[in-house]
Amino acid sequence: MSVITDKHRSRARFTAALLGPAAVPEPTPPSTRVARGVVVDATSDMLCLATPAGEERFLYERVTSFWRGGEAQASELRPGDDAVVLCSHDGRLVAERVWAQAARATGVITARHDDTLEIDPGHGRPRLTVVIPYRTSGRITVRHPRLEPGYLFDAVGVWREGAVWTVRPATTQPPYPLAATPRRPPAQRYSGTLNGIATWYDPAWGRAPHLDPRAQATGLAYPAIDRAGHTGECDRRTSCVPLPLLSTGAVVSLRNDCTRASAALPVIDCAAADSWPCDLCPACGGQGAGRLASLTMTSFVALGGRLEDGCFNATVTVHNGEV
Amino acid sequence: MASEIWEALREVQLPLLAVLLLFGAFAKLGSRDASSGLSVLLPARLHRPAARGTGVLEAALAAGLVLLSGVPGEAARLLTALVFAASVAVLLLVRRRDPEAGCGCFGGLSRAPIGWRTLVRAGLLSAAALATLGLEPAGWQVLAGPGPVHAAVLAAELLVLALLSPELREAAARLRHREPCELREVSERSVARRLRASDVWRTNSPLLLGTEPLDVWRHGCHRFLRYDGMRHGTRVDVVFSVRVGGPRRTAVRAAVVARDSGASVASFGTVSARALQGPPRRLPAPRRAALLDDRRRDEAREAATLGEAREHPSARSDAWPSEDLEAEATGGRGGA
Repeated sequence: MSVITDKHRSRARFTAALLGPAAVPEPTPPSTRVARGVVVDATSDMLCLATPAGEERFLYERVTSFWRGGEAQASELRPGDDAVVLCSHDGRLVAERVWAQAARATGVITARHDDTLEIDPGHGRPRLTVVIPYRTSGRITVRHPRLEPGYLFDAVGVWREGAVWTVRPATTQPPYPLAATPRRPPAQRYSGTLNGIATWYDPAWGRAPHLDPRAQATGLAYPAIDRAGHTGECDRRTSCVPLPLLSTGAVVSLRNDCTRASAALPVIDCAAADSWPCDLCPACGGQGAGRLASLTMTSFVALGGRLEDGCFNATVTVHNGEV
Repeated sequence: MASEIWEALREVQLPLLAVLLLFGAFAKLGSRDASSGLSVLLPARLHRPAARGTGVLEAALAAGLVLLSGVPGEAARLLTALVFAASVAVLLLVRRRDPEAGCGCFGGLSRAPIGWRTLVRAGLLSAAALATLGLEPAGWQVLAGPGPVHAAVLAAELLVLALLSPELREAAARLRHREPCELREVSERSVARRLRASDVWRTNSPLLLGTEPLDVWRHGCHRFLRYDGMRHGTRVDVVFSVRVGGPRRTAVRAAVVARDSGASVASFGTVSARALQGPPRRLPAPRRAALLDDRRRDEAREAATLGEAREHPSARSDAWPSEDLEAEATGGRGGA
């Protein structure tokens, strides 16, 4: 399922008419290996998931693993949990890894009350309440020493009672507040292929795919959205990666440098919060700093990413179609 | 003569200081980056108000230096001297607090770390403002009747200020290296200006039903504008693409797309972003061509080539049985 609107499709069509079909590659169809839905029943050998397509059942293998704020057993999944399932290569029947209630809080801290933070994820999205439980506070504060308003925050956690309960940090906090972030020096050269990191975000904020069709969206949010023609707020800054300016509806090729999986994905949203930090991803020893894109949950998993890691090293190619 | 030069030097300071203050004021008020200079010493919430306040003060002082005379004029000159003297102290403190911070004197242009040149310049400008104390004319009167001595003194002082200004290098770098068009932010107004000045727009504007685009988007160097249109009674989308950089004459393309079928009905503008190849060059006149050929001639090489050709077995006279052929030809003719 995708949330590409008719406007996005017509933009891609008109761009191809003027710049040639090479400028807008055909988007890769959604992966059949990834499913997202609500847990109906979880037994010791089968998971029953309610998806918009109906009830789907997934069998377990010996290697099937589960995550619910940490490595878990199948019995720890509860009915009503929001789950993302990555199926094995053999087919959609067998689950390889299951994530339940996965959530992410990326943004700037706006308020703090004891162990509770309020995060502004940027680009007009609703503010998030983040709880840092005592059990994980050590891990979080090592990578986020300043839990004060104005500083960036990025952590992976689980949804619980409408708030994100943090489990592990997704990045290292910059030592300065967002307002004091140094500007990128003007780029001298441009390349259509850029190295950096790709992260993920949940376009439905933990809501089930029945309630919000964006939950299963295929695509990515892009940190260098052109302000003209973008409906809605996009309070981005100049990203530290010299990304070309695009609008929603454009299609970019993205490769996971760790697994070598690649896909052509449509730009469906603005990723203002990803233009703020200039971080590295330790996932597979990459060197590229700066965030290239924020993939939707299902696209991230389909490209071989692990939600609990929060990122992978990636290469983005933007086709400009010029001859 | 020396007193004349001294008087001219004093008088020239009024408009010069006013122009520098005005330039600094506009740069501070227009800059988005308010985290250098005085702001380094202040909490983050006061950065923007401090930059604005300094800009307004500088603009007011510039106006006072040019327009006021008498006691109010003297007050403006004294205040200018005090402001520049205070800025030396502030810059020293800023340099101690953050050695990497810029002075922020001319907004975003003053990003280079504060060095001795910036400090000497501020001190020099403070001394220049002090030198104007007690002058009879106001700044506008100096501007009204400048002499050749004023021009010479001004040129010399501008040269000194240029040597003391690290901003010039930044300005030159900005002029020399613009960001690639894919990364460059452009305003809708400049895109519209470029579009409306093009032949492609003039050709297609009769088709348009509205003056405002229905949709605007960007793809790298190109900004796209989609308009509602009507062509031979059929509803069409007229899509213009305006290239952000590059030559103006190849910047605009257009496609007319039928709304029902989605088929491209017509397209306008160059397909390539590169400039088209020019017409072939004219051939040189015969006399000039002969002269050029003569210059290229190498007699020694020609002689060697001719010698080789003569020595070649195929060029020897016995290689061609000409006599036999002639005899055969005569015999044949006789027999007939």
